[in-house]
Amino acid sequence: MTIHFILNGEDVSMNATSADRLVDLLRERFGLHGAQADCRRGTCGKCLVLMDGRLAPSCLLPAFKARGREIVTYEGFAQTDEYADIAAGFAEAGVECCGFCDKGKILAAAAVVERSSRPTKEEILAEMAEVPCRCTDPETLVRGVQAAAERREGRRYRRASQ
Amino acid sequence: MRVSEIHAPSSLAEVLEQRRRLPEAAFYAGGTELLREQAGRFLRLPPEIISLGAVPELRQVALTERFVEIGAAVTLAEILELRENAVPELLAVALRGVATPAIRNLATLGGNLATRSRFMDSWPALACLDALAEFRDASGSHWVNVNRIADAEGLPAPPAGALLSRVRIPLERWDAIAIRKVGLRDYPAAETAVFALAARAEKGILSEFRLAFAGERSLRLREVEARILGRRLPLNAKERRSFSGDYREAASSLPPGLKQQFGTLVDGALDLLSR
Ligand SMILES: Cc1cc2nc3c(=O)[nH]c(=O)nc-3n(C[C@H](O)[C@H](O)[C@H](O)COP(=O)(O)OP(=O)(O)OC[C@H]3O[C@@H](n4cnc5c(N)ncnc54)[C@H](O)[C@@H]3O)c2cc1C
Repeated sequence: MTIHFILNGEDVSMNATSADRLVDLLRERFGLHGAQADCRRGTCGKCLVLMDGRLAPSCLLPAFKARGREIVTYEGFAQTDEYADIAAGFAEAGVECCGFCDKGKILAAAAVVERSSRPTKEEILAEMAEVPCRCTDPETLVRGVQAAAERREGRRYRRASQ
Repeated sequence: MRVSEIHAPSSLAEVLEQRRRLPEAAFYAGGTELLREQAGRFLRLPPEIISLGAVPELRQVALTERFVEIGAAVTLAEILELRENAVPELLAVALRGVATPAIRNLATLGGNLATRSRFMDSWPALACLDALAEFRDASGSHWVNVNRIADAEGLPAPPAGALLSRVRIPLERWDAIAIRKVGLRDYPAAETAVFALAARAEKGILSEFRLAFAGERSLRLREVEARILGRRLPLNAKERRSFSGDYREAASSLPPGLKQQFGTLVDGALDLLSR
């Protein structure tokens, strides 16, 4: 079957069968290696993508579920202003993630700040539970996400008042 | 590699028509349960799939003063984002305990309630709330009390082949609610289950008391609930012992780890009523 969807802002299509997982197609057909097929059970947080703005484990998405949806991978997200807010917020708070979980944590942070302009500690930790890697101290991570949310709000405010 | 035929109806009428033509086809909602144990390179789905994601009727939420009606394909995350008091807190707490946010973005209420291999986390809360589930098949629409989705042995028994289309949940005042999830390791294993309690008192008399527990099997003792109802609060020591004994006896068929935890949770609930 041919599946049309939006990938990192571009209209794309791919041939796939019901047996294909989105994570494998992103890697093999589109060369997007940010999402990794590690546990293939939706538990490790390494294959996260944003689907219509929401966090989703791409290992639990058969290709047909992408039809008509907007998928953003880490690579696509890394080109956005929102990414810059998170990177700067993380740097400000001293968040240092390991190479296994950094992309998942950034996308999880993106989902939090998309939903809430002043995310609480509980909201942040709940979303971050998605990426179970313990390399980062939770308190620092909370500060990093809150700093990112502030930067995002500031940027939006500046844009609106221009 | 097994390739399945995917059908993607765009209306409820189409779903029912496809179900009539393809009685063996599996409904696919969020897919998180269907794919949960598939760690292989390729997915193995049933040969015919009816995907429910693009059926607007199954994605609706209707709110009245007395109840909320949630379409079967509404995701758990969407339910948790409904405005305050649109969903009973008992259900919200139970849904917050399901998996992780990204899974809840895909997982639907219908998939949670229609899973046949065991009871998933929404059942005890919905059973306590006396929610109704609408199932549709060739013969029409049937409203079933969620408690009846369990058979006489306490095993899950959603009507075979029928589409779960929506769930109607009464909105009532509760004075005490509790959800406890036990045995979290390797969820969902034989020794994982969810305990739900909802109680209400009027002028010091217990007017509602509902307690449901479910994992691989469900437990709801309507006879014991009926005996507790109408008692003056706090319960005295004799009443407390007697009800605790009834529940512990009914729990004798549970796996050993769960039996003990259930007993402790029941005692905690009865303690609450004895204070
Ligand atoms: C990592 C992980 C952790 C999990 N943790 C939990 C947990 O803590 N608690 C919990 O309760 N669950 C858990 N689950 C299981 C699952 O995510 C939920 O039960 C979810 O709500 C299932 O919904 P779904 O839409 O994904 O169902 P699907 O996988 O699409 O379907 C499940 C079953 O229901 C049937 N079905 C779906 N919709 C309908 C319908 N409308 N009418 C009739 N039949 C239908 C399907 O044919 C299938 O048999 C977990 C899953 C994963 C992958």
